[in-house]
Amino acid sequence: MTDTTLTRLRSANPVPEVPEVSEASKIPATADRELFARITATPGDVRLRPRRRVQRRRVVTIAVAFGALLAATAPFAITKLTSQSGPIKGPAVRREYQQAQHQLTLPPGYRWPNFHWPSHTVTGVGMGSGEAVLIDQTDWECYWVTAIRHGDAAAQQQAHGVLWRLLHHNMFTAPPNASENWTLPNPPTYPYVVMADDGGWKSLERTYEQAAAGHPQQLIESCRANRS
Amino acid sequence: MKRQPDQSAEERFTAVFAHLGAVRAYARRRGSRDADGIAAEVMTIAWRRLADVPTDDPRPWLYATARNLVMADARKAARAARGAALHETESVAAAPELHELDPDLSDALRSLSPLDQEALLLIAWEELTPGQAAAALDINPAAFRVRLLRARRRMRASLESPSGEARFPAALAQVDLEGTR
Repeated sequence: MTDTTLTRLRSANPVPEVPEVSEASKIPATADRELFARITATPGDVRLRPRRRVQRRRVVTIAVAFGALLAATAPFAITKLTSQSGPIKGPAVRREYQQAQHQLTLPPGYRWPNFHWPSHTVTGVGMGSGEAVLIDQTDWECYWVTAIRHGDAAAQQQAHGVLWRLLHHNMFTAPPNASENWTLPNPPTYPYVVMADDGGWKSLERTYEQAAAGHPQQLIESCRANRS
Repeated sequence: MKRQPDQSAEERFTAVFAHLGAVRAYARRRGSRDADGIAAEVMTIAWRRLADVPTDDPRPWLYATARNLVMADARKAARAARGAALHETESVAAAPELHELDPDLSDALRSLSPLDQEALLLIAWEELTPGQAAAALDINPAAFRVRLLRARRRMRASLESPSGEARFPAALAQVDLEGTR
């Protein structure tokens, strides 16, 4: 998906040259070689020193393999949200955000945060309502996490249901290679966000499925990382 | 008696040390005034904690460590400057300055929270994949996706603003620095 924001940022990289990295890197500069020698002359990680017992070595090997497996699951393509067409100013963005609050339901005990948006700011249609969808999503994730911690099965089910509906009703996926300004041909009248076709939507679906199956780690991390 | 470094650990560290230039560049991009020192310290920590450094791709780990050091340096500098500024009126930044940027971009970036800034820059400047960037921020890829998504929307809106005024108040921008509400 074309992203002019990232393109502009990339072109403004203050240190644009990409340092060469190779497996057979021979540590080019003298100063760097000296640094390498200085560092490796100090005591290293005791966990990597040879063990006498084979069994312990096996445990370390298994742990490293498990870590590598976890790391291998990390690669993930960019998913982004596009605003819809047409420039709108701050008051319209705030109005969208407020209207969306009547169309979305926050978990019990949660309140919509203030949404600061200066009057003269120009952005695309859907910015305010899309923000509301994302806030709603994160709050329900956190509500679910709290319900898990308290062993509240009913609240867990409720959160799962709402998130499932948000995902299938309010979150859309753009076609591959769509532009940043891609819009839904027939945008719905309710709040929604559009994501790139790169696996992000599926990842959210997986997160909720895993949490419902008793493996909430991804859900917990998502809540912790995104609430604000 | 001089310690003999373990050969396999040294070989493993060689692959990590190959990213010294990338770490140095990272520190410079984040406005560190001592990028060489930061890079050296990151590598020293990596050597001491080599078992924690992923062998397949150490960059996220190295950037996360560098980020902590850059932020710690910035906090230290801010404290020192606050002390020195007792007789002055100049404001003191608590975060490293992103210099050498055009003012619009700089303002737009500053309007984001530190973690939102970092999410964007890890993708745009460090050229990490979202999976790698998520690892560098110690959050899962799905969580990173949402953060990146918000950051891009806010950054874009900020750039489209005619005045380039910050969109989000400083108090909001500082929220969630440690991943907690």
